[in-house]
Amino acid sequence: MKTNFLPQVSGLALCAMVAFALPFATSAAGVGPTLGNKESASADRSRSADPDWPIVNHTPSGQMFQLPFSVPKLADIKKNAAGWEYSGQLEFGYIGGDAGERDAGYRMYQDIDEGAYVNKFNLLLKNSDGAFVDVTGGGAGRRDQYYGLHFGRTNAWQVKMHFSETPHIFTDTYKSLWSGVGTGNLVLLPGLTPGGTASTSADTAAVTSASLGTQPMTLGLTRKRGGVRLDLTLSSALKVFASYALEKREGARPLGAVWGNNGGTAPMEIAEPIDHDTTDIAAGVIYASGLHAFNFRWTTSLFKNKIDTLTFQEPFRIAPQGFATTPAVGAYTQGRLDLTPSNEAHNARAEYTRKLPDFFKGAFTAVVSAGTWRQNDSLIPYTTIPGITSANVTLLPGGAWDTVGSLSRSSAKGVIDTRLIDLTLSLNPTPALNVKAKARYYENDNNSDPYYAVNPNAVYVDADAATAGSQTRGLTYGGFTGVWGRPLNDASGSGGVLFAGNPNPTGSVVVRNQIYSSKQYRLGPTADYQLTKTANFTASAEREITQRTNRERARTWDDRYKVGYVNRALRNSTLRASYEYGQRRGSRYVTAYYEDAFSAAFIPMPIAIGSNVTSWAVRNNSGLRNYELSDRNQHVANLRLDTMVRSNLDVGVSVQLRESRYPDAAFGRGKDSQDSANLDFNYQPSPKQNIYGFYSYQQGRIRQATITSGANVTIGAVTPLGVVTPENVSTIGPAPGGPFYLLGNQWSARSTDRNHVVGAGVKQEIGKATLNVDYSYSLGRTRLAYQYGIGGALNAANAALAGDRMPDLATDISYLDASLRYALTDRVALRLVYRNQWEAIRDWHYRNLAATPVVTANVANPPTVVILDSGPQDYRVNWFGVMFQIKL
Amino acid sequence: MNYLRTFPIVRASVVAGSVAVMALIAMVLTKTGRAAPAPAPVDKTATNVGEAACIKCHKAENTQFTHTLHANAFRLNPKNEKEKLSCEACHGPGSAHVEDTTKLGTLVGFTRAWGTPVGQQNAMCLQCHSGGNAMHWESSVHSRQQLSCADCHNPMAKISATGLLKKQSINETCYTCHQQQRGEFAKRSHMPLPEGKMSCADCHNPHGSTTKALVKNDSVNELCYTCHGDKRGPFLWEHAPVRDNCLSCHNAHGSNHDKLLTVARPFSCQQCHGNTNHQATLYNAGQIVGGGANPNSRAIGRSCTNCHSQVHGSNHPAGARFQR
Repeated sequence: MKTNFLPQVSGLALCAMVAFALPFATSAAGVGPTLGNKESASADRSRSADPDWPIVNHTPSGQMFQLPFSVPKLADIKKNAAGWEYSGQLEFGYIGGDAGERDAGYRMYQDIDEGAYVNKFNLLLKNSDGAFVDVTGGGAGRRDQYYGLHFGRTNAWQVKMHFSETPHIFTDTYKSLWSGVGTGNLVLLPGLTPGGTASTSADTAAVTSASLGTQPMTLGLTRKRGGVRLDLTLSSALKVFASYALEKREGARPLGAVWGNNGGTAPMEIAEPIDHDTTDIAAGVIYASGLHAFNFRWTTSLFKNKIDTLTFQEPFRIAPQGFATTPAVGAYTQGRLDLTPSNEAHNARAEYTRKLPDFFKGAFTAVVSAGTWRQNDSLIPYTTIPGITSANVTLLPGGAWDTVGSLSRSSAKGVIDTRLIDLTLSLNPTPALNVKAKARYYENDNNSDPYYAVNPNAVYVDADAATAGSQTRGLTYGGFTGVWGRPLNDASGSGGVLFAGNPNPTGSVVVRNQIYSSKQYRLGPTADYQLTKTANFTASAEREITQRTNRERARTWDDRYKVGYVNRALRNSTLRASYEYGQRRGSRYVTAYYEDAFSAAFIPMPIAIGSNVTSWAVRNNSGLRNYELSDRNQHVANLRLDTMVRSNLDVGVSVQLRESRYPDAAFGRGKDSQDSANLDFNYQPSPKQNIYGFYSYQQGRIRQATITSGANVTIGAVTPLGVVTPENVSTIGPAPGGPFYLLGNQWSARSTDRNHVVGAGVKQEIGKATLNVDYSYSLGRTRLAYQYGIGGALNAANAALAGDRMPDLATDISYLDASLRYALTDRVALRLVYRNQWEAIRDWHYRNLAATPVVTANVANPPTVVILDSGPQDYRVNWFGVMFQIKL
Repeated sequence: MNYLRTFPIVRASVVAGSVAVMALIAMVLTKTGRAAPAPAPVDKTATNVGEAACIKCHKAENTQFTHTLHANAFRLNPKNEKEKLSCEACHGPGSAHVEDTTKLGTLVGFTRAWGTPVGQQNAMCLQCHSGGNAMHWESSVHSRQQLSCADCHNPMAKISATGLLKKQSINETCYTCHQQQRGEFAKRSHMPLPEGKMSCADCHNPHGSTTKALVKNDSVNELCYTCHGDKRGPFLWEHAPVRDNCLSCHNAHGSNHDKLLTVARPFSCQQCHGNTNHQATLYNAGQIVGGGANPNSRAIGRSCTNCHSQVHGSNHPAGARFQR
């Protein structure tokens, strides 16, 4: 049987290899999908320890090995008539109490409910040839259920099949104003008028009434993933594998949608439909023998969004501001979002190691990886509103804004290619010294064609206001001629189309996208010196150079120096300590790096005295630095001590201190730090008793500063930095202390996260009973404090309301899981489960929104914002379970 | 070349295939069949005694070991002579230990008390587990920290469902050293590890990687896209720091803030966005609901993403500001 079957499987695998063109390695894929859920872990912990295990041992670092679970002795292993050994267990029962709580925080990633429950089962069969079948599963019928089937012949071949569901609940308080949640078309409920009515206050009242009167609903998605993987051992050195997985995500999640104006008016929380399929295919080969090892891997990921757009009706009447002259106010009834595009990714990776025993006992490793990410979704028109016209623009046949004729191309044509080369040479010049030289190159190469925001089927009536007379023509840029810019917010906004709503020239209309690419080079040596048989010292240095296109900084270089020390011979302890210093510097930081993306690229800046040139001169505060590009000095220190206080008690202590300062960032992020301290212990006085505990503290700080924008920049203006001229405006305009960024308007903020997590547990076996108690409490606080000048960033009246900080963000999470297992017979046990879980949360973003979903300062105007979910809520649940465990 | 540009599969195949061919050529040209240096035996005079001799004394260990993957491989379908040795495949020849069972160091042991140097312990494991998943073990941070395989694995007992770990799950095993991350997963927003739906090994390869932090893929973003394919794009309108690194805005493990953000919105966005109009305005406690007469959408609900909801990138022709 096996001799016939093996070649067949080999053939299948080889066919798969051929089909996928290249083989694949297990690197990074050695662990299959995680099969489990919160409840099954609780069942696992109730198992008894092996009373015959002779001694509590410690790992080489000094942590106690967990005692093995009790397993059948050799004589007690069951066999069926065909000679297959088998074992298995099933836990099922009933859950009652508050398990049906619907709170989104409680159910975020789990699906506990009242009623009958199959918590966990597994069945294992194996025969004397090494053939085996392993079936496992849990949470049957729930949205966190999982199943696995694993069969094959040990050391020859194996097939792993899996299916797992993971819920992700975002809110259970969403009050939809629309029907069609979960689809790509949201239609306002009866009583609400698409496009609003002549009375904004009536619209506001209607929306308020609808939102308060609607039954809250849950928005969430379920991730269902199933797959199969075949592993085939062709020889002791050579393995191949192939895998296939399909993941479906279905549901809905809250999403913001804005309307009208320039930046936006009356943003509303709509529901984005989720109907995603992801297909993952992989195949590979693993070879390791003697001096050589190599892996090849091919992966393909095909992501498909089955709902490509989301159209939503809009219940407020917002007059199009300055762009559209027709249709009339009130005709703007709906908007449309283009949801995330379907895309595909492919990657091939090859890894090779050659041991060099005759060359300083060394080894050389080379890795080459190449990938590509692509999407070519059809582009949708700027708006669904028909009949959009505007002053100064003549639409040619086919150029209507609600048609694809208004686009410069019909599909996205997005392509990013990635490449990796990683080389490592490891040498051992002496028995005590290992040195490594490493070099790495990684490229993220965006090969997408630039997208030009131009309507090629439209012309200007007067393209240049600076030139007298009407000019019926388009403007040419990047090889395109037409009307530049894009109607904002389904044509209900203003300022997006050059010379349309605003006849004056402006330099800040977006006319093309930006293509971001990067190349990263990293190289440096590492040395590891064995001080004694039990102590090591390591040192490393590296330089990482990153080149970016179309970013504020074309080139940055990070230098990192690290030393580490490990001592395993301290009295009953292992000490690990390390320190790293990193310094980032880079080329000149250019705030206005993206000028070719704006109309400033081809619309000359006015130079006449008094001309407002802000849209040419200012892109950002020139003293502000994006923290991922800014100069940075970083310190990271780690300390970890594992100590065996007694032979049955070990304690671990760890500390990490991390601080980054951004010395060239006068504004932006100036500093961040994170300090963590952890303590845990594990006490195992006997196989029947275990007590553990832990405590973690973490404090994170981020400090930032900026300047609220002030007056416009005009040619000839007298500023603290000098008189503004066409020659110096690009320097003075965005400069702190200039006309736009008045130093008196600066403000700063400091965010401080503090977290305490404490946990403890006990396991006690008394006769036939086993008690398990696990408890954890997590406290999180965030204080967001700010400083500002009264009369600057805030006036006196607003300062009185603002105070010096936001209300603290606060989260308290308590979790108690207790179970008492009693062995009724050798095969049957009763397990009583008690769960107490609660969360208290305060988030100022959502304060008072449950009662005030439509936030407005003046009912005569469109609302400030419409938030239809109440944010995270408190919950408290107590539930119990009566479970039976049956062993085969 | 156009053909290669058009078909990425072919192009990638050519690159990886070239390396494969080079590797194969290198293997053929070098001394074929030459074995890698075997780990030094603890006692060079010791000889194999067979597992029956071991079991005479180690009955309890054998009871547990019988249920492990190693036992199945060694006893039911060994693929080479080494595996047939069973106990001595990992512990080395046992005759010296049989002669004096109280003498430490006569075998390779994987406990602290036994005192076998870590390098020697790991060399025993790497006899079979080199390459593949452990290709980059030697240059991994775990190796540099002088970790033994036995610091995470217990090959003598089936405590975990897979992987012969020292604890019941991957996560619990990792937490024995990475308590900081356990604390981070206990925060308000977190990856679903405490719920048992993810493991540390979904993102990290503890046996080594060419990417920092033992990240499994070639970059952080490539890793994130394996689950978040909807964020992969490439989008018509890209958001530079998003394309650069997901960790620009998100904590990987857990956060006090919604969506694993490092800082609460709008302050998160305002670290970089300081341009005209609303970007650099100080939104404050007076502008939350109930804070004053002039609430502001940037201080409420989803804050900046109330409007700029497509912050990961937009494919809408009008989506330059990520509003569509």
